Amino acid sequence: MKEKKTKRRVWRGAATTGTSLLALTMSASMIIDTFRTDIDKFLGTQSTKMITENQTEDDYTYKSDYGSTTELLDAIEDLGERMNEEGTVLLKNSNHALPLSEDETQKVTFLGFSSYYPVQGGDFGSSLAENRGTDADTVDMVQAFEAKGYTLNPTVMDMYQNMKEEFKSEAVLPWGVTTYYRATAPSIDGTFTSLEPTQAALDAAEPTWKDSMNDYNILIVTIARAAGENANYTPGEAGVNPEQHLNQADPLGLSDTERATIEAAVQAKEKNGGKVIVLLNNASAMEIDEIKHNTGVDALLEIGLPGGYGFYGVADVLSGEANPSGHLSDTYAVDNSASPAAQNYGNYAWVNADPAYSINSEIVEAESIYTGYKYYETRYADTVLGQGNAADDAGSSAGGAWRYDNEVSYPFGFGLSYTTFDQRLDSLKVDLEEKTVTAEVTVTNTGDVAGKDVVQLYTSVPYTDYDREHLVEKSAVQLLAYEKTEELAPGESVTVTVTADAQDMASWDSTAANEADTKGNYILDAGEYYFTVGNGSHEAVNNVLAAQGCSEADGMTEAGDKSNVKTWNLAKMDTTTFAHTKNGTAVENQLQDMDLNEHIPGTVTYLTRNDWSGTFPVTYKELTATDEMLAEMQNDTYEIKEQGDSEAVTFGADNGLVLADLKGTVDIEDEKWAELMDQITLEECMIRTGFGGTSTKPIESISSPEAVQNDGPNGINSYTLGQYANKDTSSADPYVTDANDKNLNYKFGTMCNETVIAQTFSKELAAEFGNVVGNYSIWSNLPIFWGAGTNLHRTPYNARNHEYYSEDAVLTAYQAASYIAAGKEYGVLIAPKHFAFNDTEINRSGIATFMTEQKARENELRGTQAAVEDAETLAMMTTFNRIGCTAGNAHYGLLMNILRGEWGFKGLMSEDFIQDANYSVLKEAVHCGVTMTCNTGDSTMEAVSTKWDYWTTENVSKDAELMKDLKNVMTWQNYALANSNAMDGLNQTSHIEDVRTWYDNALTGTAAAFSVLTLAALAMYFKGMKKNKQGGM
Amino acid sequence: MGFIKKQSAGFYFMVLTVIAALAGMVFYMINCNTDYFRNLGMNTIIIVLLTAAIVLEIVYIVGYTKMGVNPVMDMIPLVNGVLLMVAFALFASARVNSVATILSFERNAQTMADLSSAIVGMVCCLTAVILNIAGSFFKVVKDEE
Repeated sequence: MKEKKTKRRVWRGAATTGTSLLALTMSASMIIDTFRTDIDKFLGTQSTKMITENQTEDDYTYKSDYGSTTELLDAIEDLGERMNEEGTVLLKNSNHALPLSEDETQKVTFLGFSSYYPVQGGDFGSSLAENRGTDADTVDMVQAFEAKGYTLNPTVMDMYQNMKEEFKSEAVLPWGVTTYYRATAPSIDGTFTSLEPTQAALDAAEPTWKDSMNDYNILIVTIARAAGENANYTPGEAGVNPEQHLNQADPLGLSDTERATIEAAVQAKEKNGGKVIVLLNNASAMEIDEIKHNTGVDALLEIGLPGGYGFYGVADVLSGEANPSGHLSDTYAVDNSASPAAQNYGNYAWVNADPAYSINSEIVEAESIYTGYKYYETRYADTVLGQGNAADDAGSSAGGAWRYDNEVSYPFGFGLSYTTFDQRLDSLKVDLEEKTVTAEVTVTNTGDVAGKDVVQLYTSVPYTDYDREHLVEKSAVQLLAYEKTEELAPGESVTVTVTADAQDMASWDSTAANEADTKGNYILDAGEYYFTVGNGSHEAVNNVLAAQGCSEADGMTEAGDKSNVKTWNLAKMDTTTFAHTKNGTAVENQLQDMDLNEHIPGTVTYLTRNDWSGTFPVTYKELTATDEMLAEMQNDTYEIKEQGDSEAVTFGADNGLVLADLKGTVDIEDEKWAELMDQITLEECMIRTGFGGTSTKPIESISSPEAVQNDGPNGINSYTLGQYANKDTSSADPYVTDANDKNLNYKFGTMCNETVIAQTFSKELAAEFGNVVGNYSIWSNLPIFWGAGTNLHRTPYNARNHEYYSEDAVLTAYQAASYIAAGKEYGVLIAPKHFAFNDTEINRSGIATFMTEQKARENELRGTQAAVEDAETLAMMTTFNRIGCTAGNAHYGLLMNILRGEWGFKGLMSEDFIQDANYSVLKEAVHCGVTMTCNTGDSTMEAVSTKWDYWTTENVSKDAELMKDLKNVMTWQNYALANSNAMDGLNQTSHIEDVRTWYDNALTGTAAAFSVLTLAALAMYFKGMKKNKQGGM
Repeated sequence: MGFIKKQSAGFYFMVLTVIAALAGMVFYMINCNTDYFRNLGMNTIIIVLLTAAIVLEIVYIVGYTKMGVNPVMDMIPLVNGVLLMVAFALFASARVNSVATILSFERNAQTMADLSSAIVGMVCCLTAVILNIAGSFFKVVKDEE
């Protein structure tokens, strides 16, 4: 009897288990559509399929340069190596310590744990994808140097490798905690911890390590700082782990253990007669003045984050196989925290913060245009010229009078070579009709070895009384254009023609009248314009100062070369040449609301070169937003209302077109676009704008395909090469892959970081990256790539600087434009991001960013403008942060008037990964030309209306203006797709069919199994009960 | 025989189920009122499901204590399995995107603190499911048979 009753409980338990698991599978089946997009991406499945009949090879518009995945990967690997050959910057080379002789390469000691555990990509964002078993396996520093024939000190290598656990650090990523054996960047609230072991720890680990260096006396010390999205370096000691006590004044400065490692190398060299070479493995400019002045250090190089193949290039540079030709893309300051921008870099919460609306903190960029070299060189020029109280102590890192030598270790644009070059500025022509500045520069290799050189064309524009009165700021020198030579043999000369966009020397004047009869215009002041070339911004400004009659007696750090300066005189202020943009749009103020003084008058004093000490920024913190600001920051700025003639907006027409009919139609005014978009339904527009995360989804009414999005920028790294590659050998696709191809497991997060690409100063190499990305896109069927970080390095403290090129707008703009334009030839949509002013990772969902419109337009926006106007990019990612008080996706002036209006952007535009329904501002975003948010969900109105309760057909269908906005953004999105390789393989017969994935079938099967289990258990339970009853229970 | 001495393992499992479900519900409500998650609103279905499960669980415990073996009572763990599991699934599905967002893009002390109540709440709900299943295999009172 007892046994039977035990069985009853067993069957009861089994039935409970069955119903619970059945409920789980049924719930999963019901909610799976909400996550279908993400599940498909994760599993590599597809829930819809494009069916195309009579497909031919002609349906594939874009052609790859490569005949196999092996060729493709070889090209990536080769480019990765060359990027670091040309992007490594030689900063110091005492007594020609480099290049190493062949004999010297056979006795190398790597010192510093980062030599064995280097930073090759971001902690999160542009992380290195380690590849094994492919035709382009990635390598670390040791592997690369050994592959290049170097012989490394085995004793020291074993010592560091046996200490591996000492170098462990953790990063929290979306998929959990990841353990890295290398330096990592601090979290937003975290501090930097130096993992460099003490000398005592090294001695304990291997007592003979110092002696071993006698036989391996080429001592290479690697010092690293990591980088990462959602990471941050806090300026000064506050950013350093307080428990370490390593005499570290700044997270980007050296710790005592790092100093001791360098010193150990120097002492060893004194004993063994070798050489000490220091490598900087970083993306944020470090404070390395003490290394510069350390006479025991023979050579110093900036190698960036080299990715999977860049260390091959570094090895080639050290051995002389490659002659370094990189130049710094950032200023290397003595004390980063002393810069005017750093005074307002941190977490400054509003006094009346309201997390319900993502109202968290503010950042006031009170430094005006003076970031990076524009600050250091302008202030230096003013100290020499004796103007603007420049020599006062405000901002002096050493205390006392401000002196350039105390502030800058290595200037922007600086870089050495194993040879020497002479550059002569032969001619200079300013053509305001053509809006160009053209320089002819003769470059001569005056040394003994072949090498490449970079022509950097700088301008110094007049700073006038008008500017002082109207608060128009002018940098004493600014990069206007650049070109890199081909390799020049010793004694060889070449004349390089450098053509600049003359608008890049125009200044934004928010008070000037304009052609729109409002305020705000680009101006060229009357006066003398100076043009020069130089190895970096400092040499350039010295040339200009020399041309202005200054000398070392006036305080110049060294004499300039006035013979290398050309001038151009503008008799009268020009307010017309740039009053219209390239597409004919009249410019006017659009970003006045980014000036905090517009909201709270008299709050901010912006830095002006008219009075450096009197206007040097203070920290703007503990601010209280006004009621009007709070209202703006509640993000409800567009009211859906009954307006316009909703009947006049056509949806759901039957015009018999599919998107493939407009494949390659570049004229967006072609009437077929309107006909096609009349077919789309209102519901499709509303769902697709709401749920655009990770891929654009198919749109049935116009047969628009799903186009998968990918992150970067160090290569298309969201998916493996094979996840979406075509493996259907019966297809007409010329790029079908073999399902057994080992390269299908390859993941292209292997390129060096963007700082290295910038340091090449080579538009050609940037374009080559666009070429390989384009080819990869064709083979992998991954057409959308958030791959060009065009935010500027406002300060080195933004740990995400590795995904952005430079502190300079022009270098950023033309590296990005070259790259995007090249990729476009292969149909890949490479998007600049994050538009705009994503200058910090701190509180980026909600941070209110304030600055002058002049700063906005001449710095960060100029860094993106060429990607739109010149490269005609068809994709863009917006930003997390606010533009002033307005959510980044709700700023009409920035997104519609500047981006789409002035610049003529016609492509798709996605939000960044904003999941909060309030802050993702869907209705405002659509009104502002954003084509999709980054949310995912079930493709139903119910789902999208649940997320945004105002997003119902009942509401939207009464607002004709919003319906037009919806059709506009869907037109732009599909225009971009039609002009991309997302359309490859499609023709007029293409249509969408739903597919049941294996996981759909598995869920159904599992539900059936659990149903059977439950029913069987219940049956047994009741059978047992019946028996018990009959048995006289 | 004292009340406690009469109880068997099933009783303790079910009491723990009630506690876990109650904790899950409390943490869900706390989480819905955190700064980060407030905009997502509160799903009343989750509250209703958890409340119903708690009430039924108490009915089950009391019923068995009072009535002994009863097929109606035996159906309660089955029903509770459904209620608790659906509540957990809805809770988790409403938070998974935010968890990913916070950990990857918006990680700071405030968001992590807000996230913690969601994690605890989901763990409690899942624990309640497991405890309910486990308890259904055991006697509630020792003299049940």
